[in-house]
Amino acid sequence: MVGVLIIVLIIIAASLAGFLMYLSKGHGLFAKSKTHKSDAINDIAMQDVEHIFNDEFREELRNRGRLHFEKIIGENAMFLQQDLRLTTSQLNDYMKQEITRTLKEEFSKYEQSINDAKQLAIDSIEKTQATIEQQRQLMTQQLAEQLGAEKTRTIARFENHMADVVNHYIMTAIGNQIDLGDQLEYILNDLQENKDAIIEDIKNGA
Amino acid sequence: MVPEKSVVLPISVITYIDLSRVGRELSNLDDFMLQASIRKTGTPMQLPRLSKLLDDTAAINKLNLIDEKERKALLTALTYIKEHAPKIHISFSAEPNAQFITKIAENIRSTINPLALIQVGLQPTIAAGCILRTPNRQFDMSLRQQLRKSRPLLVELIHKTQAPVKPAVKTVEVA
Repeated sequence: MVGVLIIVLIIIAASLAGFLMYLSKGHGLFAKSKTHKSDAINDIAMQDVEHIFNDEFREELRNRGRLHFEKIIGENAMFLQQDLRLTTSQLNDYMKQEITRTLKEEFSKYEQSINDAKQLAIDSIEKTQATIEQQRQLMTQQLAEQLGAEKTRTIARFENHMADVVNHYIMTAIGNQIDLGDQLEYILNDLQENKDAIIEDIKNGA
Repeated sequence: MVPEKSVVLPISVITYIDLSRVGRELSNLDDFMLQASIRKTGTPMQLPRLSKLLDDTAAINKLNLIDEKERKALLTALTYIKEHAPKIHISFSAEPNAQFITKIAENIRSTINPLALIQVGLQPTIAAGCILRTPNRQFDMSLRQQLRKSRPLLVELIHKTQAPVKPAVKTVEVA
């Protein structure tokens, strides 16, 4: 506060000195009418001014102003640094919040997309499973029908061939076990049964 | 003299081969007798030994083979039989023995034709029985044919066996 006052006083003094110098050179209101008197006053004023604002005082003022200016510069720099830090911190927070919010939104969208894709995949898989199950049931039904038909055919074929199998088995099993002597009565009976047909054929053949 | 149609074949002459053998032997005997008749009287000679077939044939027909006429008559009769006798082919599952064949031949000649000539064959696949073949027909009297005829009955029995059998006794559950 004092520094500011000193600076103001210096400015006022400099302005006053300048004004007096202007007047002393004859450019004021009393240039022509009071030339001599004014010159004397000007000289005195100049002397006083020179006496008050000598070089040491000026150097002192200059030094004080420089120091004050440096102090102000330093304080402002400190304030500026603080503001800058605060701003940076706020900016960081803001950026963090924005980034977090954006990331959350993006993640939310991404999660939603993933959920949608997941749901789509689940739906697709369920549809596929349903189709597969339907196909499986259809194939099972067809297989059962074909199996039943094949079973029926096989049983029919087996039954048709079973008689041959049994006959072949009997002939193979007992064919060599029956003695011709045991068969004599059986053969003679057959001959007796077919006697008429044989006689008829012999007559016709002869 | 024996008329051609009234000649009887002995049971020992069964096949056509037997008949041919008898005819051939009788022809040889006739030749021998002819040769003997043109030889000088008193020349030693030995009558050829007759086979049982020819012996039986002469005996059953009551013929004296020394007599040329009867010999010629038998030869003619045998030739007639060779040409006109019915030939029956009969197959068995195994090689039959002579006794078996004799009984079969007796039966055939007594019931079918007294001059029937029998040719015996072998068919092991028939298992049992016989297959008789006449000039125009075949009579399958084998076990194989009998089983084939019984096939519907066998299928029916198989179906009955496959049908579910109801339990005769009710089972009681014990708590």
